[in-house]
Amino acid sequence: MYNKEETLRKLLKQDEYNFGAITFFAKLHKGDTCGSNGLPLTPNSIIIYGQAQSLKTFTSPYLCQYLDIIRGKHERTVVVSQYCGKPLSESIGKSQFQVNDIKRIAFQIITALDILHKKDIVHRNLSTENILLQHDGNIKLFNYGLYHMTCNGKLVSFPILQLIYTAPEVYLAGPNATKSSCRSDIWSLGMILVELVLDQPLWANLKLGQRIRKVLSMIHSNTSVFERIAREHNCFEVYENLDGGLKEFIENCLTVMTKDRPHSKDLVNKNIFNEFSAANQQPRSKVIKEFKTFTIADFYHWWQLAGGDVLQELKKQGLIRSSPPILSMPSLVLLDGSILGQERNPMTLYDPRVALMPLEALYDRLKDVTVTEFYPLFHCNSKIIKNSETNKYDIDLPLIIREKNTEYQFQRIIIFRRLLHSYPYGIDFLISAAEIDIPPWLRGEIWAAILRIKGDYENEYLLIDKETPTNTDRQIEVDIPRCHQYNEFLSSAEGHRKLKRILKAWVHKNSQYVYWQGLDSLTAPFLFLNFNNEALAFACLSSFVPKYLHKFFLKDNSTVIQEYLAKFSQLIAFHDPVLANHLYEINFIPELFAIPWFLTMFSHVFPLHKILHLWDKLLLGDSSFPLHIGLSVLTQLRARLLSSGFNECILLFSDLPEVDIEKCVKLSLETYKNTPKSITTRLHQNEEYYPITKDFNISDISTRELNKERCARISTTDVVKLINDLKDNIVIVDIRNPTQYNGCASEKSINIPFSSVKFGEVGIESLGLHGNMLCNNTEKNVVVVGSEDTDLTLFPKFLLECNVHRVCVLHGGFDSLLAAKPSISFVYHDRNNVH
Amino acid sequence: MENMATRTQTAQRPNGSAQGKICQFKLVLLGESAVGKSSLVLRFVKGQFHEYQESTIGAAFLTQTVCLDDTTVKFEIWDTAGQERYHSLAPMYYRGAQAAIVVYDITNQDTFGRAKTWVKELQRQASPNIVIALAGNKQDLANKRMVEFEEAQNYADENTLLFMETSAKTAMNVNDIFLAIAKKLPRNEQASGASASGQGRRLAEGDTGARAAGSCCK
Repeated sequence: MYNKEETLRKLLKQDEYNFGAITFFAKLHKGDTCGSNGLPLTPNSIIIYGQAQSLKTFTSPYLCQYLDIIRGKHERTVVVSQYCGKPLSESIGKSQFQVNDIKRIAFQIITALDILHKKDIVHRNLSTENILLQHDGNIKLFNYGLYHMTCNGKLVSFPILQLIYTAPEVYLAGPNATKSSCRSDIWSLGMILVELVLDQPLWANLKLGQRIRKVLSMIHSNTSVFERIAREHNCFEVYENLDGGLKEFIENCLTVMTKDRPHSKDLVNKNIFNEFSAANQQPRSKVIKEFKTFTIADFYHWWQLAGGDVLQELKKQGLIRSSPPILSMPSLVLLDGSILGQERNPMTLYDPRVALMPLEALYDRLKDVTVTEFYPLFHCNSKIIKNSETNKYDIDLPLIIREKNTEYQFQRIIIFRRLLHSYPYGIDFLISAAEIDIPPWLRGEIWAAILRIKGDYENEYLLIDKETPTNTDRQIEVDIPRCHQYNEFLSSAEGHRKLKRILKAWVHKNSQYVYWQGLDSLTAPFLFLNFNNEALAFACLSSFVPKYLHKFFLKDNSTVIQEYLAKFSQLIAFHDPVLANHLYEINFIPELFAIPWFLTMFSHVFPLHKILHLWDKLLLGDSSFPLHIGLSVLTQLRARLLSSGFNECILLFSDLPEVDIEKCVKLSLETYKNTPKSITTRLHQNEEYYPITKDFNISDISTRELNKERCARISTTDVVKLINDLKDNIVIVDIRNPTQYNGCASEKSINIPFSSVKFGEVGIESLGLHGNMLCNNTEKNVVVVGSEDTDLTLFPKFLLECNVHRVCVLHGGFDSLLAAKPSISFVYHDRNNVH
Repeated sequence: MENMATRTQTAQRPNGSAQGKICQFKLVLLGESAVGKSSLVLRFVKGQFHEYQESTIGAAFLTQTVCLDDTTVKFEIWDTAGQERYHSLAPMYYRGAQAAIVVYDITNQDTFGRAKTWVKELQRQASPNIVIALAGNKQDLANKRMVEFEEAQNYADENTLLFMETSAKTAMNVNDIFLAIAKKLPRNEQASGASASGQGRRLAEGDTGARAAGSCCK
């Protein structure tokens, strides 16, 4: 027996999974609220939000991982990040470190800085306060992205620096300087190491101004800066006796002239670090990524689901305090709007405090999690074992509830992490897991797997020209600032840049296609989900279009769209003749409302959160699924459509009312499953994905003809399938003349000779007994079978007008049925025997 | 906005007087992408302005009723997509329209050029009696103006177009341009019947659309 408590503690309650938050205000825009394009200026907090996202992708044992950026009221920005261990400053003056410890710390800091510098990120904020010492003696840098996320400090009204650690050139450049050099971080590292070596805080008793003066005075130092500091702190002996390698390293760091100061990439390979860098290189597989059952980011996600609220916690801990508005009243407001005599709100200054987030609530929620849930079983041949794995969560609960349930999402994420790790192996398991539901937290990666993204998509994306100006640039540029701008990702400057690059890359890569308005909306969900992985967003788009929107973006797409819309009309007629007839009568044709639906797969008509749920299912279906979504939207609005005329109907769709997506998805799945495939088969579908069966070559039907046929065609294969299906859900209406019918007919068919029907009057009664049967039918597929000399449009249209459900026409007529002879039986009424 | 709401209400209130006529007109908006077509309609119909008005794909349809003297004029407005690619859909919307507003952006010379092309196309293809108005939108950005007022005015005069500079953002001239169109449209039964001659044509190819072509004076 294992000790459950102990195991769970090991798995969940690790120091590494602690996190905290800092908060500050972004600078407010003054005066002008509109840019030169007439659009309002993007709030700085949104720019920070976009800029900070890439920080979340940095994983290193020496960096605290960024977890979240949250925007509060009045441009407040909250940054959530891993936070574990104690600030290094607390260990100074305690004779805690040997030379070797200091070397190790130096190595770890320089390694971390090197990671940042390689990504062109300057820390600018390095100090002993935000270097966290772990239990095992290793360090992690904290809050290293502040300078980067605020666009080099431009978006905040406080300076980003650490008095004594800041390099002299930063002070000299002044507050409005452009981006600092990476080398300023090297200076800071030098100062930190000096503190560690001297084992005391530098110039602890000096006032702020004096400290800055001290740093600036180093510029004039003719001797070693390190030596000078050591002398000033009466520690010359320590300096003199210091290990040569370390001394040289520190002196290198404290080179006064920026241009002579070494880079992190040079320093990280210094000989003094040999022992650490060797230990640092663990054997790693080149093929398989390292696997973690879950990450701290997952952990943070569960914490939020368990009720964790960062803003609330910041309030509780006093980092967010609201002051009465009266206190912010200015003394004087001039007519031109300038404000005088308003005291500066101390809240706009930088508050270095870090609020640690309590994890008890999450531990409590997960206390019943069993160890086996960490290691789920995917395939096993033993039924006994399989059946013993009872699922303790009710998957019939509404999706919204499942998505908010901590334990359920815990289980789902553990499962999907494994499936994604093994991808592309085991894709079938992933698909069947995705059919239940897709955990929102991993949606981006799961979608990519469902879209079969593999290979070196990153490099492929890198190689595509995204910069050369083209004549679609203007269109793309005017569309992007209007595309899902309520979303923080997509409205941020970074989001705009990324979307533009992806669209330009797509246009460049797909020379057979052109940019149609709507492609922006189509890209938005992929970018939103893969904000930190632009290449993956592009790969998803590139795989989505051929699957669902084949030929839609041709320069002349009219025949493709027309076929699509004709099939849509037929699908409506097939499932809902009453609605179809009403829409037909008032001339409410799909051309008028459904183009944006299908061209953008509803991404232009629904907000993102709805699109995500819709596409969760769409991606598991084929290219006919969108038609069913369209049908389900109409079905949801059915009552209003039926009672409305043309104007009311079109108005309804110009401003699409609230559509319940879960209902919509359910309904679409239902009709999708019970519609014979050939009903929605299109000539222009991508044969690579959906080959058209031999007996159903619809290429000889022109769009004009198709538009005339109000009822869909069905293939022989489907009819044979239906006939042989045990559910008995087919009625074959043979409309050939009685002589032909009696000569040979399908066993399950009824005969209503074409010539016997009076088409002038709409009334099913004229068909007698058969009429009643057809009229009451809602389940069975009514397949009209004729021959060359019968009109195959008039009769089905008649049935449709009589509101008969599920009417379709056998493509190829009776002859094609006869060709399938061995698999279905025929009756020869003349001879009274069955074959 | 307030003003707008009041006017709309009066318009929608049944007139009561026996001689009150109701006229219905089909109006189409054309112009380059992102010049503010949808914003003009939104301002006119709902009195609203959205900074991030989404792009229009295909077309959108809205209606608005205004009162003019003793007549109630109902506009059936087709707001079309601006991108050149959607051009092939445009005839479906302007066919049978009694009025058109061709919109350009005063801060962008190219959009003015595109507006001229639209005017030409309408003169050639639309119903002969169509009332065309030219709207130089985004007047609130006049300090970034690239199309001079006089230039547009001269062009409008030469082609006998109604012309106004508008701002959907500040609502300047938005109601005015629609009212000016309403005034110019024939409102007596005979004339409007004639202007609606386009209604026999189809909204789309195939057997559709006659309904939307707008029948006047119910």
